[in-house]
Amino acid sequence: MNTLPFAVRTLRRQPARAALGILGVAAVGALLFDMLLLSRGLVLSMQDALDRGGFDIRITATASLPGSGPRIPDATTVARTAASLPQVDAAVALRFGTGRVATGEHRPAVAFSLFGAEPSRLRPWTILRGRDLPLRSDARVGEILVNDVLARTLHLEPGAPLTLRPSCRRAAEALPPVTVRVAGVARFPFDTVDQGTAAMNRLDFAGACGEPQGDEADVILVSAAAGSDADAARNALARALPALAIATNAQLVGRLEESGFSYFRQISTVLATVTMTFGLLLITVLLTVSVNQRLGTIAALRAIGFSRRRVVADVIVESVLMVGIGGTLSLPLGFALAQWLDRILKRMPGLPEELHFFVFEPRALVLHASLLAATAVVAALYPVRLVSRLPIAATLRNEIVS
Amino acid sequence: MSRSFAMPAGAVVAVRDVSLTIEAADHVAITGPSGCGKSTLLHLLGCVDAPTSGSLLFEGEDVASMNDAARSRIRLTRIGFVFQRFFLLPMLTAAENVDLPQSEAGVGRAERRRRTTELLEYVGLSARADHRPSQLSGGEMQRVAIARALANRPRLLLADEPTGELDQATGAQIAALLDRVNADGTAMVIVTHDAELAARARRVVGMRDGTIQL
Amino acid sequence: MLASAARFDAQPRVAADLPAILISRQLATARGLHADDVVRLAADPSGGRAREFRVAGIYEPIPDPMRINASKHEARLHLPDLLALTADAGDPLALENVDAIDIAIEPKADADAYARQLAGRVPGLVAQPVRAVPGEAGLFVVLERFHLAIAIVTIVASTVFLLALTVMLVDERRETVGVLRLIGLTSRRILGQMFAEGLVIAGAGALFGIALALASEGLINRYFQWRYDTALVFVRITPDVIWQSLAIAVPLGVAGSVLASWALLRRGALILVRR
Repeated sequence: MNTLPFAVRTLRRQPARAALGILGVAAVGALLFDMLLLSRGLVLSMQDALDRGGFDIRITATASLPGSGPRIPDATTVARTAASLPQVDAAVALRFGTGRVATGEHRPAVAFSLFGAEPSRLRPWTILRGRDLPLRSDARVGEILVNDVLARTLHLEPGAPLTLRPSCRRAAEALPPVTVRVAGVARFPFDTVDQGTAAMNRLDFAGACGEPQGDEADVILVSAAAGSDADAARNALARALPALAIATNAQLVGRLEESGFSYFRQISTVLATVTMTFGLLLITVLLTVSVNQRLGTIAALRAIGFSRRRVVADVIVESVLMVGIGGTLSLPLGFALAQWLDRILKRMPGLPEELHFFVFEPRALVLHASLLAATAVVAALYPVRLVSRLPIAATLRNEIVS
Repeated sequence: MSRSFAMPAGAVVAVRDVSLTIEAADHVAITGPSGCGKSTLLHLLGCVDAPTSGSLLFEGEDVASMNDAARSRIRLTRIGFVFQRFFLLPMLTAAENVDLPQSEAGVGRAERRRRTTELLEYVGLSARADHRPSQLSGGEMQRVAIARALANRPRLLLADEPTGELDQATGAQIAALLDRVNADGTAMVIVTHDAELAARARRVVGMRDGTIQL
Repeated sequence: MLASAARFDAQPRVAADLPAILISRQLATARGLHADDVVRLAADPSGGRAREFRVAGIYEPIPDPMRINASKHEARLHLPDLLALTADAGDPLALENVDAIDIAIEPKADADAYARQLAGRVPGLVAQPVRAVPGEAGLFVVLERFHLAIAIVTIVASTVFLLALTVMLVDERRETVGVLRLIGLTSRRILGQMFAEGLVIAGAGALFGIALALASEGLINRYFQWRYDTALVFVRITPDVIWQSLAIAVPLGVAGSVLASWALLRRGALILVRR
């Protein structure tokens, strides 16, 4: 009988102990798997959200995140310069602000995110109902897109009028209200579950802000041309616009990873380490006690001719089997646990609905399997030492005496 | 050869200057009071332990100078061991316990199956092949242990108090079985307190204080 | 804000005449600044309209978990100096604009009532007590729930571990228990013994765990304080946490021991003594 069926029989000899050991590994393995998902989950989710938005590069005035630093002056010229490069397909300038809609004398106003977008054939939103904003805008303040949350809150449908009070600077201001018409209902990237969002033509937005000649933008979104990759487009833009900060989606995610997302990476590392230590202790103790209880039998096996290598292999295979079965069970458990933890974390205020904290990638699975395999081997080291150094004669003698 | 053990209170010589030759098909019983070194001598003969001084030759080969893997191989293929406490693997059936050393020696599956059936028949336990040790009596367990010890056709069978945990009647059955094994050509050395079992041997070696009494 | 910070060797009398500022420890370390150094500050990223200030002192920024990743390079100015530095020259009211006014109320005053009263008197004003800043509270409530969820999973895994251990420990004494039953001790008596042993082991284990937590508290805090260059405390083992840990660990340990023993005692004494 070779080592694997031998190990199976050994585990089945003590079913309660084996089952508890396997369940313990499954629980620990599930937590480890989730921490591996969490370590890069937000980064992957953000990267995916940025890529799905259809734009590959962001231009800002400084290296600050879009909307948090100074604005880009002469945004129209900058966008045209960007769009004229052969590596670039389209460039859309955005300016951020907020809007408020009064809902009644004794009721609080409804606040929402409001941004102005450069007219372009590429739009950073998806129309759900109604129609899109026109490419050109006439001088009068005209049309607006709202998201589903705002549409539901204010009972808006395409064609309905909307009177809003914009806020366009970061300092407090008191601009007069403007009346626009809802062109359509759209889904915007990074919409949150409960936050309203609306978009206007950028020049209409500037007009509503009392800046009819205003030509600033918080960020310019750029999509790379077909046949050109984001890095090539980025490099071309950097040469054409040396005074501005240019970042690909990957670079932007890298900045976020260093700042806001680092907490989850840190905590996932700490918890993964604690989890693995826990699993290591569990398996080491289980194996050591199991071996200690079988020393007489092991000595007898050595006496009848089992080599040291064979009895050592038996212990290692027993460890690998326990961790292997527990590790396999830990995957569906880990997925279920990840859904639960993700639901908890997604309740963070201001978090875009499409972002997730626990995102599967094959790398996590490979790392999970490798870490568990290493745990199985390391956990077996001490019991292997006991077994390999077992004094056969003395052990047999002790068994008789005891 | 001699074998001593280092103890906190000083070295204890368990076997002192013993010279013993076991011939092919020999039947030797080693007797003596508790603590006289019988089991230690048996362990030396079985290559389970190595002498502190002197030499141990098994079929002309110096065992003391061999490494652990080589000694294990000798124990597996040329020596059979029967223990007082049987030491059957509790999670394996009788047949699987007999199969185990053959599998470890690299014997093919068909040959193992044939040999296991033959051995269980030899010890009178064909009907209990699929029973686990917990389902066997003491005598039956010892018979399975003897079958296991004979699995790889050893040249030498060593038995340490084989009837120590058995009642008289069962012990007599085991003694008869061991006689038969010896009659079939396997050399045998038995350590025993049992005078009747010792009387069946062709040679009786008495030990006291680690030495052979002449 | 600090577009350019350069030492300017001035005569002590001139430096003393300059307006004073405080700078954060992190900024001082990053720029190699010390007290009484003269620096230039500008609100314009290009460095335009810079003014000189004297570093009056270096302070440790108040740890703010909401700004844990933010740059700790800060400076504190007198309000008129800040307004003069940042005001839009074309805006006649620029020197009258501030972002917020912090108010310290009397110790027994009701902050909520005061905030409501203030908001009522100045339409358009947003007044709220510091402890209930929306968004921030929600974030930490979510993080607390997340940590609690992790704790629950850890407790479940620990319980499985504990059961496995107690099953093994009890099984090691199977023969002893069988002999005790054979000589006449009742199951209840033996179970009581196991309960007492379980209590001692669980108590000792829990205390050891708490000692380990206290030791690692310092390590974790030192690491994250170094990592984020902050004085924020990340892990704090309070008496409440200790009591909660004991309240969970000790009963679990005792329950595991008693449960494993009970399962063992259900088997017959003869079965227990047989190898």
